Amino acid sequence: MKLFAQRALGPVTLVLLGLTIWLGIWVTPPDAVQGNLARLLYVHPAVATVALYLSYGTATVASALYLWKRTRSMTLDRIAEAAVEVSLVFIVLTLITGSIWGRPAWGVWWVWDARLTSTAILGVLALGCLALRRANDDPVVRARRSAVFVIISAINVPIDHYSVEWWKTLHQGATVFNPGGGLKVHGSMMWTLLLSFVSFSMAFLWLLRARYRLSERQYQNTERALQEALDQRRAEVTN
Amino acid sequence: MGYVTAGYAFAFGGLGLYALSLWWRGRRGNG
Repeated sequence: MKLFAQRALGPVTLVLLGLTIWLGIWVTPPDAVQGNLARLLYVHPAVATVALYLSYGTATVASALYLWKRTRSMTLDRIAEAAVEVSLVFIVLTLITGSIWGRPAWGVWWVWDARLTSTAILGVLALGCLALRRANDDPVVRARRSAVFVIISAINVPIDHYSVEWWKTLHQGATVFNPGGGLKVHGSMMWTLLLSFVSFSMAFLWLLRARYRLSERQYQNTERALQEALDQRRAEVTN
Repeated sequence: MGYVTAGYAFAFGGLGLYALSLWWRGRRGNG
């Protein structure tokens, strides 16, 4: 069952992403105010949500569990590494799709608005975390430093989330819900929006798994190379 | 529709390229 779910993850994700494109571009009606431009609603918010909460959240939880002695394992370190890298990809796509929406809606590609700036800072922090990992050869030191870095940098996530409330920003506030909790979007637009959240979340899981397996293989290769070097050295000493 | 097409192309194309890079890195045997 587990193997079936793992094998089905890729094809199901592709079908859902394809469905999102079809519904988003050809089925949903244009918006009364923004016209066809509102079709970016089925891409940008979902990508941003995955980048900030799902990806960086996964990295933060995995890092915290790694630092906790009772749950410490290199598996958690590899999950955190994979989540940070996937998060960086989603953050870059968030900034690009947001910029493409901002040009016709606001008249500018970029503005140093609190939401945009805090998202960009999170991207730089994710890049910094990956650079930090490259700077350490010792896997234990690397894992510990990386986990501390991810947890400290995750402070930026709530700042990013509340930036539209704490500061006067060009970026809009909440997209799906009104402050009272009621839905802002209805009908086929709402279903497509919800589907986009599901399909991009599935894409995140698929990419996270692929990236994790890559780390695992790299770790096994390093271990094998180390063992071979040790065996060779032992053979030299014996002879 | 030009901006919409560009937005979709970057979002879905970007994820596709990243998935391709993971596959390629896996084939080369490095992370």
